[in-house]
Amino acid sequence: MMKKLLLFFVLFAGFFAGCESEDQIADQPFVVAFEKRSYDYSRIPQHQTVKLVFSESAKADGFVRIRITTTNAEMGVDFDISDATENHELLIPIYRGQTEAGFVFENLIYPFDSDDKSIKLDIIAIDYPQPSNIQGYTSTLISFERSLGATTAPEIGGPNEGNQVYFDLSSETATQVWRDSWDLGFYCGDEFRVGINGSIYMAVKKLDVTNIDAVTESSVSQYQSQVSVGTFNPDNAAYIDYPSGQISGTAISEISSDNHVYLVNLGYTVGTTTPAPGSVAIAGEARGWRKIKVIREGEGYKLQYAELNSATHQEVSIAKNPAYNFTFFSFNTNSTVNVEPEKDKWDLNFTVFTNIIDGAGSYGYSDFVLNNIKAGIKAYRINVSGSVTYDNFDLADVNDASFQDDQRVIGADWRDVFSGSAYTDRFYVLKDSDGNYYKIRMLAFLNQNGMRGYPKFEYRLLQ
Amino acid sequence: MSIKTLHFPFFLLLTIGALGQQDSIPQEKLKEVVITGQYNPQSVKKSVYQVEVISRADIDRQAGNNLADLLNQSLNITVMPSSSTGKSTVEMFGLNSQYIKILVDNVPVINDEGLGNFTDLTQINLDDIQQIEIVKGSMGVEYGANAVAGIINIITKKSSKYKWEVTPYLQEETIGKEYNGINKGRHIQSVRVGHNINPKWYTYATFTHNDFDGFLNNKQGQNHLFNDGLRGYEWLPKDQIHAKAYLGFTPNTNHRFFYRFEFFDEETKYFNDIVDPNYNPATDTDDPIAADDIYGSQRFVHLFNAAGKFTKGLTYDFYLSYQQQTRDIESFQYRIRTGEKFDVKDFEYESRKAYFTKGSLSNFLDSDVIDFQVGYEVNEIHGYASSFAGEGMFTENIKRTLGTYDVYGSTEINIGKRFSVRPGARALFSSKFDTMTALSLSAKYDLGNGYDLRGILGTCPKLPTYEELYTYFVDVNHNVQGNPNLQPENGISAFLHLNKIFKSGDKVNFDTIFSTWYLNVRDRIELVAFLDDGLRYQYGNIDIYRTYGASLTSQMTYGNLGLNAGFTFSGVSKVLDSAELSNDDYLHSVQANGNAFYRIPKWGTTLSAYIKYNGPEYQFVTSEDLNGDPVIVRGKRDSFTSVDATVSKSFDKDRFQVTLGARNLTDIKRINTNALQGGAHEGAGTSVLLGYGRSYFLKLLYKFNFG
Repeated sequence: MMKKLLLFFVLFAGFFAGCESEDQIADQPFVVAFEKRSYDYSRIPQHQTVKLVFSESAKADGFVRIRITTTNAEMGVDFDISDATENHELLIPIYRGQTEAGFVFENLIYPFDSDDKSIKLDIIAIDYPQPSNIQGYTSTLISFERSLGATTAPEIGGPNEGNQVYFDLSSETATQVWRDSWDLGFYCGDEFRVGINGSIYMAVKKLDVTNIDAVTESSVSQYQSQVSVGTFNPDNAAYIDYPSGQISGTAISEISSDNHVYLVNLGYTVGTTTPAPGSVAIAGEARGWRKIKVIREGEGYKLQYAELNSATHQEVSIAKNPAYNFTFFSFNTNSTVNVEPEKDKWDLNFTVFTNIIDGAGSYGYSDFVLNNIKAGIKAYRINVSGSVTYDNFDLADVNDASFQDDQRVIGADWRDVFSGSAYTDRFYVLKDSDGNYYKIRMLAFLNQNGMRGYPKFEYRLLQ
Repeated sequence: MSIKTLHFPFFLLLTIGALGQQDSIPQEKLKEVVITGQYNPQSVKKSVYQVEVISRADIDRQAGNNLADLLNQSLNITVMPSSSTGKSTVEMFGLNSQYIKILVDNVPVINDEGLGNFTDLTQINLDDIQQIEIVKGSMGVEYGANAVAGIINIITKKSSKYKWEVTPYLQEETIGKEYNGINKGRHIQSVRVGHNINPKWYTYATFTHNDFDGFLNNKQGQNHLFNDGLRGYEWLPKDQIHAKAYLGFTPNTNHRFFYRFEFFDEETKYFNDIVDPNYNPATDTDDPIAADDIYGSQRFVHLFNAAGKFTKGLTYDFYLSYQQQTRDIESFQYRIRTGEKFDVKDFEYESRKAYFTKGSLSNFLDSDVIDFQVGYEVNEIHGYASSFAGEGMFTENIKRTLGTYDVYGSTEINIGKRFSVRPGARALFSSKFDTMTALSLSAKYDLGNGYDLRGILGTCPKLPTYEELYTYFVDVNHNVQGNPNLQPENGISAFLHLNKIFKSGDKVNFDTIFSTWYLNVRDRIELVAFLDDGLRYQYGNIDIYRTYGASLTSQMTYGNLGLNAGFTFSGVSKVLDSAELSNDDYLHSVQANGNAFYRIPKWGTTLSAYIKYNGPEYQFVTSEDLNGDPVIVRGKRDSFTSVDATVSKSFDKDRFQVTLGARNLTDIKRINTNALQGGAHEGAGTSVLLGYGRSYFLKLLYKFNFG
């Protein structure tokens, strides 16, 4: 009997000791590539570190061999790269445990003497003891030309999405603006129009009054519950600027010599709470209400504004500046403020946005991407199918008739909030104010920790 | 299903039951003593309640390790697995686990969401169980709040005839087709040691390790790199340890004391099917990341029971228990290629801690004619729900204490030898809710010739859940709020059972039961749009759920052959005042089950087979017509049949038992349905997970008995 008992427990122990084995994962080669596709020669005052990135932390030491090809530029005269050999090659060590390497490019002609000079750097060999491959950004160009494209992560500020980020593709320049730093935008084009800040969920309603001092809180309180974003009443679409971005679609009617008073819901401050990973906390405190009246004043505007119960109002004159889409005004400072870059210096705006859902009215969207439709920057979407891929798409595939008259081409349809990922079945083409065509694909909207508000995209010049 | 076809099996079974001349009670039935709802343990036959018993032999024939393995074969009960939480919960009469109380030795058993209700059946281990008793219907007087649809009372084994009993077993199961002995399949190792220290003291301990490696089905497991929805498991893998200990003291035949301890530990791994490819265009490589969770549950149960009889005949039964269950979560980002975990967060997800005591006195008059029982039940539940529980609808962590202080009494009056009636009432005082009551009236009439008629009327309140009370999800575009002023829902049920027992000679036994019922839950809590703007939602006591039905079950034993067959028919109607559109017509469904076992004593072999047919089930769901306007349509969940079969054989003087079996022979995995309602941000599912396909098991058990 005891023998049996023993035998049983030996068997038993065997089962407990059973170790878990893991399935094999398909390996990727080790890759060394340039961090950027191109550098702007004119913006390198003295020197620039040209960074090489590894696909993973290096498991061993090695070398990467780079060839230097010049056009109208001479090493030692126009530029210098330390450690470069006579035959225009560079040998950069890969150190075990590192995830990147780099070398210094020295600009010897700053500011510059001639804009036809360029230097091209190509990775020609990776000397590494494990499987490796040359792929991705295998070359980079230092020139006075437009950007060849980049991978970039506009800093909209994490899950509160506090920033609006204006991005210029050809110069790789981002401009950040705090979302609730402005309220009204006075159009600087031919028309006389005033837009509201949809990124903080503002809403306005035209009142049957032209005397601003006659409006009181009690005379408008009946409207306040509906003059708001996200009430699921389709009629509330009238209280926001039409989201396609056409200037004719502003909620405030065209400005003439006389105009109605508008009830203004100032929306919300930027949220401050930290939501669960994958979620956003866009709206903070309600910013309250104003009454406004805007009239034309010569080639500019006159804004009258006051708190709802105020029997008097303030007045400010606002001029147009044709270099910009809008002149912006803030009720925080009661003055005009700088918001957008000049209108031909941005293509995309990463922002919270008030959109319309058919049948449900206005609805607040986070992670929105707008193209600068007011400056004529248009885009269209391409669905990946068969041979039509982001990688294959080139200039000959662009169809000019497809460009949309809408700023929401990328919009919010680029990301799936339930899965927390960017759709990989679509990409976009954009034509900028200099006539450059760029293809754009969205890569992510969460960071590696799963936090929302970290969009990332890649774009590439079509040429 | 027409009335004619319904009648047919009933008459057939009843006719078979009435065939014999010599009516008497089957011996096996006589031995079947139940405790659920009784003043004192007594035979099924004498019980005023209709108690269904799943015996140890039934459990062994199905090689049931936990409650989820077992209940699927019962009529009007469905086990509902959840692929997102890894829990399996019970549904009775279409009501979910919130309405069903699960007890061990008369005491509700804790889990991370409640005391008695919300139970995850896979967490209830059966290795020290003598039998399972099921009573359907509202049992508020006997068992307090939340026993609306019924109760499942698990009775542990409390004695042994051997001085030492050592019972180890190993059980290996395939999960569908998946099995490799290491990280695929289900692996159970268990040992039970029982010891009679002396005639007064008995003790036992059990230890069970249940390693369920999850069901992949078409999914690709942990190391899948792509964001195509295929990462992870169809059923989550879990690894459980159950340890239990018991110490019983029986100083004399009049008194019995025991202490039982239970420790349970579970690890459930959730692998996110959403994979962030984390593509790096510069190197044209990816580094996929997924947000994974590991849930760890731990339960401790202490239970003390004293029961017995004073010299004057007064009997007492007293319980004292402290229980707690905590579900912790380790939430992290997982780099699939390298296996690196980062951004690891550990916190308590949800927990319940409960003090429980219950006591009753009965047999005041020591009379056969009339008996009283008075009792009290007090519990205090400390609950915690992190903001991540409740489907992420709590904005902050919820910490609440709920005290329930009940007194109850009933009297059993026997009028003549044939008729007994038992009215009862319970008052439930609560630290949060208005005082509630539960009432019951049961009667049993012995019609003679082996016929018994039982009528049971009962009521029971159901307390609101944390989600219903404390949800708070408000932002610019949403407004969904719990309602701290909710009142309990009110259940009422009426059951009528006609039982016919018949015996012929030593060999033939028949037991046929015809039951019919009506069950109604008023003040059902549902999310309601409040204010007329239709965009703010709050929970309210608004809807009604009602169901009626009838069933016929028959058990027969003939020598070494046992046969059971049952058929049930029910209708469910929901009055949804919470919905803009609803239809409260009754929707009907049928279920049938059967099982058979045959013993071959010469070979020490038992063959058994189980079958259950679940007819199509219907539910009204909101859909859109061609114009896009909302309409109510009748959705259907397809029918399915499950079949299990086992062979068990004993060797070495019955000490070594080998059980070989197949579960789910019809290979049920997902059943098509269009009877699910989609939510605001999600479409309705098109199938419901019910099983993991045809699977096989082998159980090797050895009984080392000494003395």
